[in-house]
Parts: sequence; C-alpha cells; structure tokens
Amino acid sequence: MKEINELNLPDGLRYTRDHEWVKIMGDAAIVGISDYAQDQLGDIVYVEMPEVGDEFKQGEEFGTLESVKAVSETYLPLTGEIIEINEALADAPELVNKDPYENWIVRIRPADLSELDSLLTVDEYLDLLNG
Amino acid sequence: MPLRQKASLLDLGLMDYRRAYGLQLDLVEKRRTGRLDTDIFLLTEHPAVFTLGRRGGQENLAVSREFLDRQGIALIPIERGGDITYHGRGQLVVYPIILLKSAGLSVTEYIFRLEEVMIRLSRDYGVAAVRDARNHGVWSGDRKLGSVGIAIRHGVAFHGLAINVTTCLEHFGWINPCGLTGVRMTSLARELGREMALEEAKQRMKGHLAEIFERDFSLMGLEPLLE
Repeated sequence: MKEINELNLPDGLRYTRDHEWVKIMGDAAIVGISDYAQDQLGDIVYVEMPEVGDEFKQGEEFGTLESVKAVSETYLPLTGEIIEINEALADAPELVNKDPYENWIVRIRPADLSELDSLLTVDEYLDLLNG
Repeated sequence: MPLRQKASLLDLGLMDYRRAYGLQLDLVEKRRTGRLDTDIFLLTEHPAVFTLGRRGGQENLAVSREFLDRQGIALIPIERGGDITYHGRGQLVVYPIILLKSAGLSVTEYIFRLEEVMIRLSRDYGVAAVRDARNHGVWSGDRKLGSVGIAIRHGVAFHGLAINVTTCLEHFGWINPCGLTGVRMTSLARELGREMALEEAKQRMKGHLAEIFERDFSLMGLEPLLE
C-alpha cells in the first residue's frame, strides 16, 4: 500500500469523495479513479462499463471495478451522457492499476459544468485522505 | 487502556439468502447516511443456495439449472467479488456492515482480518488453516475451508466471509468453487473427522470478531431495524 505522500494526484483534476476524478476537455470530460482508489483495490480484474448513450445524474453509479479483493461501485462525478467507454479496459483492466489517469474509464458530455464547484480540488482531496 | 470502538452484533440464525441480502443493502444505506452510527456485524447461516459474483461464473456450474430447480436450490447473481459459490447449512457466514474509513481499515487490511478470524477459529479446533497468495480465503492443505468476498458502496463494505464448519460438501461438487477448477472444498468437521456443534463455533466466532476487529459488541435483535 502506498503512503498518502506517495500517491500520484495530478493538479487540474477534480476529485470526488468516492475517489473518482474528472477532467474537462472542451465540451466533454473524461472520468477515472484516483491513484488512492486503485491502490486500495489492488489488482483490478474486471471493469463493468455503462453503454454509450446512458445518462446518469451526479453521484449516480455508472459501473463497478472488481479487484482480487473487492467489488467497488463507481459514481459519475458530473451529470451527463456517456459518449465513449475505454474499450481497452475490457481486455486489460490492469491498465487502471498501471496508470489510473492515462487510463480513463468513460468519456462524458457534462450537462451542467457548475456542478464542478461541488467537487474537490487536489488539496481538498488530500485533506479528505489525510482526514 | 485500549479503547474499543462500539459495534452491534446481530445473530440472524438461519435466514434465506435473499432476505439477508435485502437486510444488508438496507443496513449499508443506513450506515452510509449515518442513520446507523456504528458498524454492525451480521452472523447467519443460509439454506442451500448458489450465488454468482459480478463476473458471473455460470460456466463453473457443473450441473444443469433444471437439476438445481429439481433440488430446490436457487442460483442468485450478486455484486460481491469472486465467482460462483455455495452457501448451506453448517456454514457460518459473517456480513460486517462496516464503514472502512472510520474503522481505519484499508481494503487490504480488512480482508486480512476477515481471513484472520477464520484462521483463529480453525486453530481453536486444532486445524492449521493458512492463507494462500493464489486466492483469498483460508485453506487447510490444498483444500479450501473458508471464503472471503466483499463489495463496497460509498465506502461501506458488505458481504464478508463464509467458513464451512459442518457443511455438507456434496453440493460444492456441483460447481468449480470461486471459478477455480480442481479445488476441493473442506469443512472443519471433515478436517477433524468428527461431529461438531455449529453453535459452539458461532460463539467462538463472536469472540474472534471482537478481538480481531477490536470491537466492543452489543448484541441486538432484528426488530429495531425493521421500522
């Protein structure tokens, strides 16, 4: 297990209390799980994805990650529509462990960017982890 | 002086899998929203049932569904980790509904402790159970004695552990347990080669849970939870 000061937590992302991150890219956004989450779960063996076109509200479950240790639900940081899923994870779920930021899970079209204000900055997320 | 976190212990006795599952979901929600302010450990035993993990595992069912229907045994898909497994009489099941963060537990540490509880219980009876890096759970030699499978919802863990005390092992022969081919299941009674009292094992289990999870248990009934 990593110590908190060993975690890779990039600036410029917004984080959730359930350890997802979101990065705005134009009028779309990509979503994944944090280094803390992948480290907690250990070797990820299965990523359950939504369908393209599915719509979720902020905080709603959009899939699950299964590791050798546990199944953990993943929640969408922003209300929006799924416009792409990361197909590479179907064959190689361990990519999430290798680099949880390069290997995003879904790409979404956010419905309301003002929801970003309710998400955590990297400093706020670190406070949560240290809490 | 060691201060122990408070927790509730609820002995459900023999309870149908689906009913216990519904209760778990309800308690997870209550724990998450704070309506339950302590963790709660459920102890139970299920009538015969097969459950499938998130990844399925129906290919690891060695008998037909019609055959199961004739035997009156349900096959239930469920969101815990792992593959197909069996629950039945004589198997002691523990479902801790536990807020991992406030318990100060990482997922790794939590799984380790669930396994430790089963190892200590086995040791009480002189069975030397061990962990195995290839697969979670506890083993006696190359035979699997107990299993671990958890799910996490908003930081609250549920599902848990199942250890075969006096379980009829024939039903395990109808599946490749946990998706592992060629794995033989065993029970404490089988390892000891004698009859055992499940009730005694259950009482010992309570003691180990309190010790390993450093909890001060208060016993509770089901009624206050069914408002």
